[in-house]
Amino acid sequence: MDHAKTEGGAPADGKKTRGFNQDVGAGLLLIAIAGVGLLASSGLRLTLPSGVGPGLMPRSTSLILGAFGLLFVIQGLTRSGERLEAWSLRGVFFVIGAVAVFSASVRPLGLAIAGPLALILAALADSETRLREIIPFSIVLTAVCILLFKYMLRQPIPLAPFLLGY
Amino acid sequence: MFDLFDKLALGFRTCWEVVWMTDPVFGVSWPVPTNLVLCFMGCLIGTLIGVLPGVGPIATIAMLLPITYSLPPVGALIMLAGIYYGAQYGGSTTAILVNIPGEATSVVTVLDGHQMAKQGRAGTALAIAAIGSFIAGSFATLLIAAIGQPMQKMALLFGPADYFSLMVLGLMLSVVLAQGSLPKAIAMIVLGILLSTIGTDLETGEERLTLGFSEISDGIDFAVIAMGIFGFAEIMRNLERPEARDVVKGKIGGLMPSWAELRQSMPPIARGTIVGSILGILPGNGAVLGPFASYTLEKKIAKDPSRFGKGAIEGVAGPEAANNAGAQTAFIPLLTLGIPPNAVMALMLGAMTIKNVIPGPEVMTKQPALFWGMIASMWIGNLMLLIINLPLIGIWVRLLQVPYRLLFPAIVLFCCIGIYSIGNNPLDVALTACFGLLGYALLKFGFEPAPLLLGFVLGKLMEEKMRQALQRARGNFGTFLEEPLSAGLLAAAVILIVIAALPSIRRSRDTAFAE
Repeated sequence: MDHAKTEGGAPADGKKTRGFNQDVGAGLLLIAIAGVGLLASSGLRLTLPSGVGPGLMPRSTSLILGAFGLLFVIQGLTRSGERLEAWSLRGVFFVIGAVAVFSASVRPLGLAIAGPLALILAALADSETRLREIIPFSIVLTAVCILLFKYMLRQPIPLAPFLLGY
Repeated sequence: MFDLFDKLALGFRTCWEVVWMTDPVFGVSWPVPTNLVLCFMGCLIGTLIGVLPGVGPIATIAMLLPITYSLPPVGALIMLAGIYYGAQYGGSTTAILVNIPGEATSVVTVLDGHQMAKQGRAGTALAIAAIGSFIAGSFATLLIAAIGQPMQKMALLFGPADYFSLMVLGLMLSVVLAQGSLPKAIAMIVLGILLSTIGTDLETGEERLTLGFSEISDGIDFAVIAMGIFGFAEIMRNLERPEARDVVKGKIGGLMPSWAELRQSMPPIARGTIVGSILGILPGNGAVLGPFASYTLEKKIAKDPSRFGKGAIEGVAGPEAANNAGAQTAFIPLLTLGIPPNAVMALMLGAMTIKNVIPGPEVMTKQPALFWGMIASMWIGNLMLLIINLPLIGIWVRLLQVPYRLLFPAIVLFCCIGIYSIGNNPLDVALTACFGLLGYALLKFGFEPAPLLLGFVLGKLMEEKMRQALQRARGNFGTFLEEPLSAGLLAAAVILIVIAALPSIRRSRDTAFAE
């Protein structure tokens, strides 16, 4: 899937094109997923003495997926389809980055730090974000979330382990 | 018939169930109708999130799922159902007050609802929408109660092979009725089934497709997939489009519709209820087709069709009733057969499974209080929406003015915390990020991701039934075609796909959605 991230492509203007269009991209993505599925399920048995083995469903669905992928690639190359849309790297980078940072920091630093951090990072995905607005907002919202999840729903989520010990 | 009322009474008793709780200030015990409170909270929070522009019902439910994880099964399901109606109703509010539909089902409401709002009749439009929804919801609840038992008896006759074929038919129906490319939708279902096989194999205990990560040996939580694909990917997608929001300024106007307006709306509400109820039972976007069908019907039989699109009250009353009726009857296949007809119901199925409630024919007999309690709560939820939403319109209007630049980071944070609290595992959060990326790529390549969720939720059950069927038939794959019921269902699925793939049908299907 990573190969797709860097593709620029033309903006979506509704024009159709042959060659590397949306269908070809779709097909390649499916073929890649099917490949991973086939590799990962290669050690599983298709049949058991008692009937169907654990490998049948993963492998057959991977094969079907690969067949669909092939179909889309051929379709895209021979018929004109939608152009590839541009990928907004800024949005992907900050939104996914914010989630990854939250995942890495919630245990060691706690929600009190990870919360505002993730929120501000995510907000940077939008060019209209103003730091003066988003920083106070992140603090207020984190406080609300702490109240809701920690105290009302009693979830064992760490708050600030370095300060409070939990 | 009396039996039905008995069952409904049991449901209402379940909803009214009182728990004595000691309050922390005075130390006195108070009787608290917990289920009723949960139903109320669900409706309120559901509307609160559902009103937000750009947040549809699937994202709303996925986001709020973790809140219900710590509740007992009955309470959790009642609250979830409340969230669902709230999210639906919130979408209509957004459609009327802003010119953007919150979700596919309120696209039609925008046409006349927003025009009414511009004329200073927003209050009336919202009130009619609420009244229409309530009437439709009440009818649909009764319908579920009435159809439930016969459907369940039929479902008990199904063997594993029949069940497998029924699921195939259901999945195919859902793609045929959905929007967008047919092969792409089928590919999404297959991908969903593939993802559902990740984790430990129930029969042999072998780890499947885990790529050596022991963290996913229990399989992937469906909330992780739902939030990644419908939460994060949607956000990244929305950020690319310039936002055009046109919140109604000025007066909301009086809430109470006049007698003339009420009289004018009643026939459309009745017609919308019937159209919506029938279409809602169909898998796929049946619930989405209801409002479209109702709008077209009203416009056709109107004396002066030119009023439509300029603030005709019938154009709000009919589709809103159809919308809510369809949202309600979509529960029928889920509760009686255990097969979710659309992505929202797939989420409900996932949530039930977490609570160890497997929807299907057995629920009604084994857990009658839960089943009928949920049905009764549907009606109560509809009543609550009518009561709480209208006085709170001021709050909804203010929520609508929250800019997206503040909204989306808040959703990101809320999802992160929600996923973490599912299993107190930071890796779940990272996994959701991966699915966000996958979902974004899928959207960019023109895939509609809703069928993926359906395939994922049904995948495990399909595999289980397939294996049971083959075990019975000693490995003979012909069993699916030899069992008469199963063969019929499979044949229906094939015929359906062939018909949908015919060029002429495809064109009319495209225009139906384009309108």
